[in-house]
Amino acid sequence: MLRFLGQRAAMGLLTIFVTTIAVTLLIHLVPGDPVEIMYAQSQGTTPEQIEAMRSSLGLDQPIPVQYLHFVGRLLQGDLGVTIRGQQSVAQLLLQRLPNTLALAALAMAIATLIGMPLGFLAAYKRGTLLDGVLMVTAIAGISIPHFWLGLLLLFWLAVDLGILPVAGSGPLNIVLPALTLGLSNAAIVARMTRSAMIDVMSQDFIRTAHAKGLPKSRVLRRHVLRAGLVPVVTVMGLQFAFMMGGAIVVENIFAWNGIGRLALEAIFQRDYPVIQGFILVFATTVVVVMLALDAVYALLDPRIRRS
Amino acid sequence: MTDVTDTADAPGREERKGRTPFVVRLVRQPAGAIGLAIVVALVAIALLADQIAPYSPIKMAAGRPLTSPSFEHLLGTDEFGRDMFSRIVHGARLTLQIGLIAVGISLTVGTLIGLVAAYAGGFVEKLLMRSTDVVFSFTETLIALAFVAVLGPSLENAMIAVGIAGVPFYARTCYASALGEEGKPYFEASIAAGAGHARLLFLHLLPNVVPTMIVIATLGLSNAILAAAALSFLGLGAQPPTPEWGAMLSAGRDFFNRAPWLMLYPGLAIALTVLAFNILGDALREALDPRSKDRS
Repeated sequence: MLRFLGQRAAMGLLTIFVTTIAVTLLIHLVPGDPVEIMYAQSQGTTPEQIEAMRSSLGLDQPIPVQYLHFVGRLLQGDLGVTIRGQQSVAQLLLQRLPNTLALAALAMAIATLIGMPLGFLAAYKRGTLLDGVLMVTAIAGISIPHFWLGLLLLFWLAVDLGILPVAGSGPLNIVLPALTLGLSNAAIVARMTRSAMIDVMSQDFIRTAHAKGLPKSRVLRRHVLRAGLVPVVTVMGLQFAFMMGGAIVVENIFAWNGIGRLALEAIFQRDYPVIQGFILVFATTVVVVMLALDAVYALLDPRIRRS
Repeated sequence: MTDVTDTADAPGREERKGRTPFVVRLVRQPAGAIGLAIVVALVAIALLADQIAPYSPIKMAAGRPLTSPSFEHLLGTDEFGRDMFSRIVHGARLTLQIGLIAVGISLTVGTLIGLVAAYAGGFVEKLLMRSTDVVFSFTETLIALAFVAVLGPSLENAMIAVGIAGVPFYARTCYASALGEEGKPYFEASIAAGAGHARLLFLHLLPNVVPTMIVIATLGLSNAILAAAALSFLGLGAQPPTPEWGAMLSAGRDFFNRAPWLMLYPGLAIALTVLAFNILGDALREALDPRSKDRS
């Protein structure tokens, strides 16, 4: 098990390492002079300010030096400053990250609580009308764009019925974005749970369990559910990555103050330090969560736990 | 479609239901027939957009601004008096183009990487597949966003971004499929018969991974269309006055109270298109590999 987790951790570190390189190179892919572009929108910038930003980004040095410079600062938790306001990028991202994590976690809980039981039910009732209805609903569900669903929920629940706040950062404001993300992913969870459970149900040890006369409910609980959960947990890792990606869109619909909203503003303002920081934080978060889920996976699957 | 029929009859596929032609097997499933019908209709609308649309999609004041759907303006008009029906129809053309170009990029690059990795083995295989794994863990959204951030918001850049973001998934699928082919007797036989690299790669491996790749490309079209629409919705893709559905949706939300149709129809159009490719992809998979039934 340690070996398995060690491999996963090494892969995660490699990903973060590659991200740091990509992020350093990113700014050189910008057509034209990135610093000029950054300041093109703001008036009254002095040449001194531009030079200061250029050297703060280290753009006046060769690329390998820039990279070392970047990593050196990164290790001290320094991601540079925003082009307007000169705020610390690391601080800004860390302030906003909990909002995005809360949103992704709540959305994942909603998706799991709706999708998993329905997927399990569909697998159990496989081939019946109920299964058919559930699966048609699921395929319709994965086809509805989450940004559209978000707008519809917004206008229905917040504007028409007025039961939820439209936008902002109060405690109730998380409900709409989380519901949007959760509902649109519930369909994916349901489809994946169903296929995982069907896989398990068709295996020999399930037939043996039935054959030795175990009651149906016991076979379902002790055998099918436990074995079927393993692949579902793996899928949850990918789900979390989807949630983080979806959060970028949904945060912007509901003005939820997460890193996705910050990133979009930064893209429009050409605030490259913020974009760099966002990519790093996003990738690191996904890597860490995936690793945590790998640990759960290893604990659930006895073949890995005992190896 | 003829391509699909040809490759489905390629050698090496066992357990096929008799010799029923592939298209028949596809259309015999109700889902396959429905999906195919919607896709054909969409393609027809896209090709005939100029004939179908009564107005130019960017012509302002084609009617009074924000009029509700009527006989004259089937889906109403937007805040500039542009005819929504014409914009939706032209949006179909744009959406299919975006999907095809993005998937084209993912499919070409991904297939090439997957084939070469599976065929070359050793260091090349490790290098290619490990890098694919790393890029894969960035998630598609982040890759697409990073590319748009660098290249600047535009529809072309959004298509490229979505296409590149999809590469790892296609590479992985192609790699797995090609590895399976390499283990089959016919492949070993042709090595023994002295077939060269090019022959093995392009005459043996490539045709046999095509069916799998077509299935994931069909499902991938729905992904690509959704992703590109999301970018446009955020203002990172198509720019006004382009009649792109995601961008239209985003513009329409400001007028929800007075003109709810501005937000309803573009969303419905995206959902229907994505649904069609999802259903068709599922049905294709079942028709190509009956054993995969019940898996999603």
